Amino acid sequence: MIIITHQRDKCIGCNYCVELAEEQWRMSKKDGKSVLLGAVNKKGFHTLRVPMDDDEVLHNNEKAAEACPVNIIKVSQT
Amino acid sequence: MKRKIELMAPAGSRDSLMAAIQGGADSVYFGVEQLNMRARATMNFTLEDLEEVAELCRSNGVRSYITVNTILYDHDISIMKRIVDRAKEAGIDAIIASDQGAIGYARSVGLECHISTQVNISNVETLRFYSHFADVAVLARELSLRQMEDIVKVIEREQIKGPSGELMQVEVFAHGALCMAVSGKCYLSLHSHNSSANRGACIQNCRRTYTVIDKEEGVEMEIDNEFIMSPKDLCTVDFLDQLLNTGVSVLKIEGRGREPGYVKTVIECYREAIDAYLDGTYNEEKVAGWMARLEKVYNRGFWGGYYLGQKLGEWTDGPGSKATTKKIYLGKVNHYYPKAGVGEFKMETHAIKPGDNIMITGPTTGVVEMEVDELWVNEKPADQATKGDLFSMKIDRVRESDKLYKIVDVER
Repeated sequence: MIIITHQRDKCIGCNYCVELAEEQWRMSKKDGKSVLLGAVNKKGFHTLRVPMDDDEVLHNNEKAAEACPVNIIKVSQT
Repeated sequence: MKRKIELMAPAGSRDSLMAAIQGGADSVYFGVEQLNMRARATMNFTLEDLEEVAELCRSNGVRSYITVNTILYDHDISIMKRIVDRAKEAGIDAIIASDQGAIGYARSVGLECHISTQVNISNVETLRFYSHFADVAVLARELSLRQMEDIVKVIEREQIKGPSGELMQVEVFAHGALCMAVSGKCYLSLHSHNSSANRGACIQNCRRTYTVIDKEEGVEMEIDNEFIMSPKDLCTVDFLDQLLNTGVSVLKIEGRGREPGYVKTVIECYREAIDAYLDGTYNEEKVAGWMARLEKVYNRGFWGGYYLGQKLGEWTDGPGSKATTKKIYLGKVNHYYPKAGVGEFKMETHAIKPGDNIMITGPTTGVVEMEVDELWVNEKPADQATKGDLFSMKIDRVRESDKLYKIVDVER
């Protein structure tokens, strides 16, 4: 399983995650911050669990996490 | 009519906002949400704070401005509009913008707009262009005094007016950090850390040391100053008469990332300097006094920027501040007895004794500075208070949870 978390409050809306992992991310037209699609919000930490080990999802989101200028994306595999 | 010169202060937090008001600012600027040049700062105000901030400023006779000056993408348009709409509703006086989308929108809803330094206005024709949208424009920091003066003259001669019907006001930076890139339009932080300065996320890697290596032979060049990209800070208090003689009408102080003590000191010095200029008492002796006070707070060393026409920048020779004083955190205000004018403090660390210079900061208090006269520990006069002590002393109004600091000289 791949677990992606996003500390959304701190997002500055740079759009990198959308460019690098467009399957999981969209920019919100509402508040200009990115949205981790299908994630569950718990106290500001938005978590998405991807049940299958998909290399592309892992790779793209790791790149997004690395690119994020405010370091609010974390990706792990269990 | 007496000439009016506006002193504009940075307010990166509630504490700094109060410090700016106390210091004598005519206006303050601050960011809300993420669309401003200090997007990283956790202390930006939120859209919910606006009424309160606007009212606080208004009741103190201070104008309030919101910065919405990053590059804007399509996905930012709705939040930009919401910020502008809320600013207007809440009674914020103006927005400071650089993207034409924000400038045009503010104009369309009738909110006063000021042109940000990010637009890099370097000639009067650009200023004339923006006069269709904005009443105030800041000039590029790279212009000389002569160039500023020429721009002001053309505005007067050709009666270039903003939407308010008044002549365009020219604003310039008077004090604070400078950037090696023209008008802050820098890609260094984006290049190395994906972190765009133009989206307010500059990581300030220009402030670090660098070496120069010959790639062919791997020889490391010797350079006297490894801080090859970090300019000293701008300071104009020592030639403020020349700066104001150009006819500019708004002086902006940089520093939304700075602490309240900094804001208060810098604003006080420039307030006094502007007033001295206006009543004809600006002199060298006073300048020396202001310089000494400014050197006490955060600075990378001072220079006059490009205003005096230097060919190249002057680079700092250290990683951080050259301030001659620093503050040490001591503890918090436990309680204040307004009738007696006595504050009770909880010492969490270090010690304090009569004669020490202290500073208290807080969101409502702003900044209170004083020299400790007498102090009491456990209701008895004492010659010092140390870690763990609950002590009290006579002091101007402070409030529970305000922070207490000791100001000490930095040894070099």
